[in-house]
Amino acid sequence: MLGIHSNPTMNKQIALITGASRGIGRAIAMALARRGLHVIINFLNRVDCAEETLKLVTEQGGTGELLLFDVADYLACENAVQQCMEAHGHIDVLVNNAGIRKDELLVWTAPDDWRAVIDTDLNSFYNVTRHVVKEMLLKRKGRIVSVSSTSGRTGLPGQVSYSAAKAGLIGATKALAKEVAKRHVTVNAVCPGFIDTDMIGNMDREAILQTIPLGRLGTADEVGETVAFLCGDAAAYITGAVIDINGGIYT
Amino acid sequence: MRREEIIERVKKAILAEFDVEEDVLRPEAKLFDDLGLDSLDGIDLVVAIEREFKESHVKVVEGAVRNLRTLNDIYDYVEVHVSKTP
Repeated sequence: MLGIHSNPTMNKQIALITGASRGIGRAIAMALARRGLHVIINFLNRVDCAEETLKLVTEQGGTGELLLFDVADYLACENAVQQCMEAHGHIDVLVNNAGIRKDELLVWTAPDDWRAVIDTDLNSFYNVTRHVVKEMLLKRKGRIVSVSSTSGRTGLPGQVSYSAAKAGLIGATKALAKEVAKRHVTVNAVCPGFIDTDMIGNMDREAILQTIPLGRLGTADEVGETVAFLCGDAAAYITGAVIDINGGIYT
Repeated sequence: MRREEIIERVKKAILAEFDVEEDVLRPEAKLFDDLGLDSLDGIDLVVAIEREFKESHVKVVEGAVRNLRTLNDIYDYVEVHVSKTP
């Protein structure tokens, strides 16, 4: 019966969200799906969580699919983007969200840990964006949003590797925005502060709250909605911007 | 593939992709200065050339792009890479 029913993703915009199995990535996938985009949910380790994201997306009436690949692996990213292009013919939105932390004083940071953080949090920008932006340039449209962090704005002790990678994303965002603006591809970054996700983990919540003027943690949905706005038509004139979502922490 | 055929097909691909006059397409014409292309146009150009010579598997690799300055450079590149594939 194939061919009789129209492809449910036909005429839909396609969004690829890296690291969308949990936390902020999941919230971004859900926010984009609410706006009618078909979401490609990338994940690496937690297929159970990625399936939960897809379930939440479909429960709210959206469509999506799972795509396993390691954003730190250049060839895997190239293959994944090619797979998306073959399946859908276009990628309209890319959200570089996947990230890890290996917090430690710099003095105690092992070379492998440093490299793992830079590979997953910063080199992933190159690994994925390079292939996606080419397709966007040829199509004369596209939205790229990268999830940086307040840590990349201010620097945080115990997170030198993470701060370095996240600050790198901001530089990459600003430069690429200028590079591709002529082709109506916008490139922006968001900098979440302390968001109530697994990543907060066993951090000292009381101590954190003292530093936040709004006096509470942010929610993943608040980040998701901001990213979804940047991915929409209404944000066509915003590019090279870095938007803080941090409850008023001075950066 | 004969060079004449390569020249004809490259020109055809360029005329289809860009708003340029055919009489500008002299062999020594510079892509940026004479054809008025910019660096982003280079991406469209590469894709157009690869599409035109798809059956010959012509791929313009990263390092090669910056050496393509004139139409002649493109003809040379295609000629070499077409003949490499049986």
